[in-house]
Amino acid sequence: MLLAFAVFPLYLFGIWKRLFLYAGLALQVVYIASRGISFERLPLVGAHDTLTFLSASIVLLSIPFGWLLKRDYLFNVSVSIMAAVFTAFALISKQHSSPLPPVLKIIWFELHVVLAFLSYALFGIAAILGYLYLKEKNSLVEGLQYRAVLIGYCFFSLSMIFGGIWAYLAWGTYWLWTPKELWTSILWLFYSLYLHARLKQWWMGKPSAVLGIIGFGVVLFTYLGVSLLMKSSHAF
Amino acid sequence: MFRYIIEFFMSLRTSIWLIWGIIAVLFAGAFIMPVRQEFQAIHAQPLFDWLREQPLGITWWLWGAIGLLVLLTINTLFCSVESVIKKRRVTQWLLLISPQIIHIGFLFILLAHLLSSIGGFKGTAIAREGTILRMPNDVSLQVEKINISIDPSGYIRNWSVDIGYMADDGIFKADRIMPNKPSIRDGMGVYVKDIQPYPFKAIMLEISREPGAAWALIGGILFALGTIALIMLKMKREG
Repeated sequence: MLLAFAVFPLYLFGIWKRLFLYAGLALQVVYIASRGISFERLPLVGAHDTLTFLSASIVLLSIPFGWLLKRDYLFNVSVSIMAAVFTAFALISKQHSSPLPPVLKIIWFELHVVLAFLSYALFGIAAILGYLYLKEKNSLVEGLQYRAVLIGYCFFSLSMIFGGIWAYLAWGTYWLWTPKELWTSILWLFYSLYLHARLKQWWMGKPSAVLGIIGFGVVLFTYLGVSLLMKSSHAF
Repeated sequence: MFRYIIEFFMSLRTSIWLIWGIIAVLFAGAFIMPVRQEFQAIHAQPLFDWLREQPLGITWWLWGAIGLLVLLTINTLFCSVESVIKKRRVTQWLLLISPQIIHIGFLFILLAHLLSSIGGFKGTAIAREGTILRMPNDVSLQVEKINISIDPSGYIRNWSVDIGYMADDGIFKADRIMPNKPSIRDGMGVYVKDIQPYPFKAIMLEISREPGAAWALIGGILFALGTIALIMLKMKREG
């Protein structure tokens, strides 16, 4: 647990020096791996685990974007703040230390969860890039936001497909009408909209950047809002 | 008039407005669904049967989404065909075809939902060792043995249920249901939804039929292949 607490200040120092951000990431990876080893399961159950994984994914996946942006200061600051905020929420969230129910021990479930959070991380990075574009009006940034959304959309779609396969094997149906599934559909449609709208000249630039930012708001509600506030198969 | 309709369905602008529309009605539904008791029974019968029995005041958004999805299906077909015809002379045909594969995958998934919404079936029953149940396809099923493995802290580590399909002259096929391994026979899936070790071993069985499952899988595979191909090709093109 000490490891988990040490990550937060490192991410905060990451605002000042990138090296601290990477040190925080290394520590967080060790923490995730140690939980996985001690519980002999994928450490992605409940808010604590998933928020930790999300913040590590944001930092990890931001590396190629940061490199393409030639170490943009504002990008680095935004990634550090986002990772620190999710880590802080992870620290105050209850840990699930119980064994995994037998029904969750399947590769489709593991792929479903991992890909979902990798996609959320990419959508988070896309929102940061959208914010950067609104500040700097740099077309490279807007192009990078599109790439983050496209890859995130691919991961998210795969996550939904794998989730459907798992649900069919576990529950006899690949789809359930619950608030979580409804919000997941809204999220998927929203990013489908982004990708289609961007083919039109009018939507390129500022409207796309704004859509990318709003999209992450939908991500947060789908992930945290629905899981915390509504009754669903994905409740924490 | 005919030309106007064709142009309407061939337009990307139409796609964008339709997706906005579906998002809007689902957004409304996301606030109606959690507060209305009627939605608790939505999985008990095929969606269209359930929809017909419910007041329009709570289901309008689902009807609206279905209507808009029908329009989006037509729009997707028109746009895909037009795109292939327009760009058929391009050299990178994989780049041309991969978005259309994604669209076909999407349409198969919609078809899967349509089939399951019309012809799906679900039934549940509580059973103990020895219980015989009559399935909708007139085959009987006997629960032979319930095996539960519990760790010292009381968690169910694993379980399995031995069943047998019966005809007049006894069991003609034995099977074992385990976590994520249902027993599927003649399109009917037998699932264990809940398991109780104490005071006596009992299970909640669900017998279900999802006519759209195979289509959903094909659609999912096509969607995944199309999306991955599109990303790879774009990355390759941009170096």
